[in-house]
Amino acid sequence: MLGNAVYVLGGAQTDFERNWTKEGKSEVALLKEAVDDALLSAGITYGDISRLNEDGRVACFVGNFIGERYVDQGHLGALLTEVHPAFYGVPSARYEAACASGSVALDAAISKIRLDDYDLAIVVGWELMKTVSSKECGDILGRAAFYRKECPGVDFPFPTLFGQLAIETVNKYGLDRDAYFDDLAMISVINYENAKRNPLAQTRKWFMDYEEASHRGTETNPLVGETLGVADCSQVTDGAAVVFLASERMIQELRLKNLPRVKGFGHRTAPMIFANKMIESRQNNYILPWTRQAILDAYGRAGIGVEDVNVIETHDCFTSSEYVAISSFGITDPGNEFEAVRDGRIAFDGSMPINPSGGLIGCGHPVGASGVRMFLDISKQIAGTAGDYQVVRNGEIPENAAMLNIGGTATTNYVFIVGR
Amino acid sequence: MLQIDTVTVVGANGTMGRNISAIFASFGAATVYMVSRSIEKSTAAIEVASKSVRAGSIARRMVPKDYGSLVECVSESDLVFEACAENWEVKSAVHRQIASALGGLADANPIAICSGTSGLSITDLAGVYPEQYRSHVFGMHFFNPPYQMSLCELIRSRYADEAMLCKLSAYASKKLLRTTVLVDDSPAFLGNRIGFQFINDALRLAEDHRDSGGIDYIDAIFGPFSGRAMAPIVTADFVGLDVHKAIVDNVRSNTFDFANQSFELPDYVEGLIENGQLGRKAGSGLYRTKVASDGRKTREVWDISHCSYRPINRYVFPFAIEMCDLLHEGDYREAFDLLETNRSVEAKICLEGLLKYVIYSYVISDVISNGISSADDVMATGFNWCPPSAVIDALGGGERFASLCRERLDASWLSAIDLNCIAESHVPSFHDYRRFVKARR
Repeated sequence: MLGNAVYVLGGAQTDFERNWTKEGKSEVALLKEAVDDALLSAGITYGDISRLNEDGRVACFVGNFIGERYVDQGHLGALLTEVHPAFYGVPSARYEAACASGSVALDAAISKIRLDDYDLAIVVGWELMKTVSSKECGDILGRAAFYRKECPGVDFPFPTLFGQLAIETVNKYGLDRDAYFDDLAMISVINYENAKRNPLAQTRKWFMDYEEASHRGTETNPLVGETLGVADCSQVTDGAAVVFLASERMIQELRLKNLPRVKGFGHRTAPMIFANKMIESRQNNYILPWTRQAILDAYGRAGIGVEDVNVIETHDCFTSSEYVAISSFGITDPGNEFEAVRDGRIAFDGSMPINPSGGLIGCGHPVGASGVRMFLDISKQIAGTAGDYQVVRNGEIPENAAMLNIGGTATTNYVFIVGR
Repeated sequence: MLQIDTVTVVGANGTMGRNISAIFASFGAATVYMVSRSIEKSTAAIEVASKSVRAGSIARRMVPKDYGSLVECVSESDLVFEACAENWEVKSAVHRQIASALGGLADANPIAICSGTSGLSITDLAGVYPEQYRSHVFGMHFFNPPYQMSLCELIRSRYADEAMLCKLSAYASKKLLRTTVLVDDSPAFLGNRIGFQFINDALRLAEDHRDSGGIDYIDAIFGPFSGRAMAPIVTADFVGLDVHKAIVDNVRSNTFDFANQSFELPDYVEGLIENGQLGRKAGSGLYRTKVASDGRKTREVWDISHCSYRPINRYVFPFAIEMCDLLHEGDYREAFDLLETNRSVEAKICLEGLLKYVIYSYVISDVISNGISSADDVMATGFNWCPPSAVIDALGGGERFASLCRERLDASWLSAIDLNCIAESHVPSFHDYRRFVKARR
């Protein structure tokens, strides 16, 4: 990747199990906790931020999808000044790309450090979603699709659209429908299982097994939309994640070594409307070619291939999206994703673990935070600080980690590679 | 870790019995024989049980049984769990049945025998068994509802086989995903000993302050902003006053610590119990919900001074309002500074209650369990209360806690503990206090 090196100093996520509305706490309370915890993790103080700001060396980048609907608040870059007076005068703006909002904030922050504009970038992703009923929540999220054309009269637009992706996948590759849905159930089970090791995962105390996930349309695993079951879906989550990025100059001043480094990124935008995506990809081996391309771009910029990647965090907003990600990352050929599900490759102890954190299904999905949360998790894997969900192979922690964060129906596709 | 493939739950149709069956069948992936007085009751319990863990799939692992097949169930089981009514006559009779069902089993393959009692002596229950089985009898105390409350207290009797207890503990924590705490066989064990000390103290405070409002007045002082989802006296009403009395009487009569007197049940509660006003399950108790002829509901509280119900008051304590405003914005330090410096009667009662809760937890967890971290685990995961050392964190650390105690508490409490030691040795709790302290009154 061209430009100055970008390092990950540290960061934090809130406990995704928490319901901030039930606790009676505001978005400012959420941000204060997340930023306080991230400062502790990065070994930085509010005083340091004020001092860096005197020389114009620090900036903030806020990812949030739709706070205007969930908490009646916009202008979310500026809102950080309510977290602490140290943010007075610090350049700060909000970035939005639906569920990939966190990644577009990261992208902006990384670019500024690569260009030597700032030495410290504070990236905050957040969403409070439990302020509304689940039905209203689903409707609000519909704005990540083309709302006017794809959502009228549909209660839960996204489960419906990703259910269509499931059917399109079966049809495109001529898969056995039952076997495919059993593979999706296995993806769900792996994510729930992984979440048990993550002390901040939303579902860490929940029960899920293959029998439950593979029987859809039951009382406890009802269909959402027409195709997918509740067990195939990510969660409605309150939460924030914060990452501190630093320049080479900054880490030398702090006398730090061996920090995770951003090696590459990919960013591609597919047609907004899901049906148009399917029309466009009809002649392509990949059902989501722009997702695949974003990953190839990131590999290219990092100068690596899939064989160099040791662990992945992917955007499993639904099991059907993780399924497609498997070939998009190059783990299998398109159409053969089931191999990696069935042979255990993507499980926690497999050769290419996906979502050791639990992913969006297990860890939770506060939409504006998810990109930052994934980035934080792959950075932890590289730093060896992931605790009980740390991936270790032959006594070694991962050298390269990749993440895929998507917005809409894989419309915005963001990929980052972090490594040493 | 114990290998548990098959479990027999005796008394499986009660609330705890069926919900614990679901824990064994889900996380434990065990076949569970659910034994109750009739197959119909057991069958009905299976449906409710699988819903309690939100997984209909586990129903296939739960088998309805009645006492007629107890011998057969026990002979096929790796663990027998008794979840019958909390009464010595009932429980000892059931354990005698289990003992006779064990009759022919060889020692080579010992099965674990667990009681879900919340306070009866495990040593006494073990004594019901022939000598060869006594070392395998343990207390396994779950909290309600077990899917949401992950605590499991494991209680060792005088006869306990320590190696087996260790394996049972590993099974409970690794397989059943319980927060597992080892506790001595002492009245009410650890969670209820600490929790009901606080609750009974609240009931006594309500009597002392009956002319300020009494029950709902004290509950408003220990509202969600003080670190609990449910106010203490509402909790007593919820569990039932008969159950509350059984717990505090047991501790009062059979323990001898410095706070023993705080387990004495106030007269007005005795009166309610004698009158059958046992709490929510009886339709009335410390609180009741009155339904008017037009269907309108009014929440009422027992007025201690007037011996009658009245509508609950919505108390306006300035300190509580200010604390909630600060907590709403995430200003925890400022909220607790306010609690520590506010001189209103209510703020003083609240702070003193929290300080005593921490001290009692320290003292008791040292005697009957593994110190303050075990008290933290039981209060966080069994009661959903801000655990004691997290309260110290919220108050500003060990030094601050010690100086507040010296300032606010009398000699009987101060002499119970070495405050200098707490001040020096305090480490931030594993449990984050921020999630327990709600911005709600």
